[in-house]
Amino acid sequence: MKEIFKITLSLTCVCFAAALILGAVYTQTDHKRKEQEEKTNRETIESLLGYGSGKKVPSDLRIFSVYRYVISTPNGKILLGYLLPLKDKGHVLAEIELSGEPGKVIPIKAKESELAEQASLDKIVNDALPKGSKATLAQTLYVANLGDKRLGYVVRGVTQGFKTFVKLMVSLDPKFTVTGIAITESEEDPGLGAEIQQHYFRNQFVGKTLDVLKNLKVVKEPLPPEYLKVLEPGKVKQAGMTPEQVQELRNKYLKADIYALTGATISSRAVTVGVKDAVRKFVYRMGILNDAVKQDNLQVAF
Amino acid sequence: MIKYIKLLWNGLIPENPIFRLALSLCPAVAVTTSVANGLMLGLAVVFVQVFSSCTVAIFRSFIHPRIRIPAYVIVIALWVSVIDMILPVISPEVYDKVKLFVKLIVVFAIIISRLELFASKQPLVPSFFDGLGMGIGFLFGLCLIGAIRELSGAGQLFGYDVLGGVKPLLVMILPTGGFFVIGFIMATFNWLEYKITGKIPASGGGH
Repeated sequence: MKEIFKITLSLTCVCFAAALILGAVYTQTDHKRKEQEEKTNRETIESLLGYGSGKKVPSDLRIFSVYRYVISTPNGKILLGYLLPLKDKGHVLAEIELSGEPGKVIPIKAKESELAEQASLDKIVNDALPKGSKATLAQTLYVANLGDKRLGYVVRGVTQGFKTFVKLMVSLDPKFTVTGIAITESEEDPGLGAEIQQHYFRNQFVGKTLDVLKNLKVVKEPLPPEYLKVLEPGKVKQAGMTPEQVQELRNKYLKADIYALTGATISSRAVTVGVKDAVRKFVYRMGILNDAVKQDNLQVAF
Repeated sequence: MIKYIKLLWNGLIPENPIFRLALSLCPAVAVTTSVANGLMLGLAVVFVQVFSSCTVAIFRSFIHPRIRIPAYVIVIALWVSVIDMILPVISPEVYDKVKLFVKLIVVFAIIISRLELFASKQPLVPSFFDGLGMGIGFLFGLCLIGAIRELSGAGQLFGYDVLGGVKPLLVMILPTGGFFVIGFIMATFNWLEYKITGKIPASGGGH
């Protein structure tokens, strides 16, 4: 009987020591890690918009973040709230009912730096709402403008991968044609599912219009070698193709389905479903949001 | 000093984790579709193995024998989590490449078996060298399998075409190919041992 106490105590001590070390390391690295994450996030968005790998970001590129909140009121109603940046500095929280009817518009007073962090952002939004309402962040959308011209959108998506969730970003041009995708977080198996990170897979989505995307499937066929050439940026240089030839080959496969990765059909399918889902919902929401902005006569920044 | 070099050598060839001890074969099959993948996972294992071996060797007298297995698991998980948190701060570029591999290590049979068989009975310095040797042996094994599979399956090494775009045997890239390659290398090791010592190697179990 005495031994059982000894064992329990001993194991508790081990766990406690481990917890202490983990806690210490976490608090020491948390700030730096978040900074790093934010930097990678910004770089991913910029590279999706076409300003990656050496291409300089123009000075008039503006990326606006739009936060989509789900608000539950005390009487059990669910509303959507979009946190929008305004033209003359400042933000508003535009409420939209689930049916698409625009609701109240609540001004939000906050500094730019306070909005960058999710914890403080959540607090600001919840403080601005009437008592008893609760808002949770559902999604962040990015609208990119080049000067006054709309450059495109970047949308985040989540999909169920082979093991855990795969988080991705899709960039769209103003006509909602896919211009690029990026996998931001995944734990797929290296060598198999993790190949979704590769250019030759991700670039298959480039140029898919909304109509093509709707009926996009994953086919278990080998990737045609000529198509592979234009999908890998390194291979284009190697083959010495002119931009016209590349464009011609690309156009040939514009309506093609997604070729599954060898040995990773589930991961390939997951990404395809994730992209389709993210774009479909985004287009729908953007329509509603634009209507609401017009009806409320909001002077949004983008 | 000779003793320590012997420990290193022991992990590399005579008790190579993959080919002789037949431990951690799952990751050895799953990950080694290319040399680069094998190298990354191997490096991650070297660090976790060395840190865990040292920790267990230092605290071996405090760990109650009846809870040693959970204690080892906590130690391994601790080091994996610490590396997972510190690496993105020190070197984001490296972390970007190894993050997928680091989290896999917690459940590797080779690490816990070295803690149980060696580090829990030996002082710090030999445990350090045993951990290092085993880690390097694992790294060597992964790179060897990865090189054979990448070369024969994709015609590449480290992602560069070496066979002029020819892909001799696609099956080698698939999990099936992993089993083939590990089996053949294991057989080679056994054959060598038979040639050198004249004894038929005892059969062992794998995980």
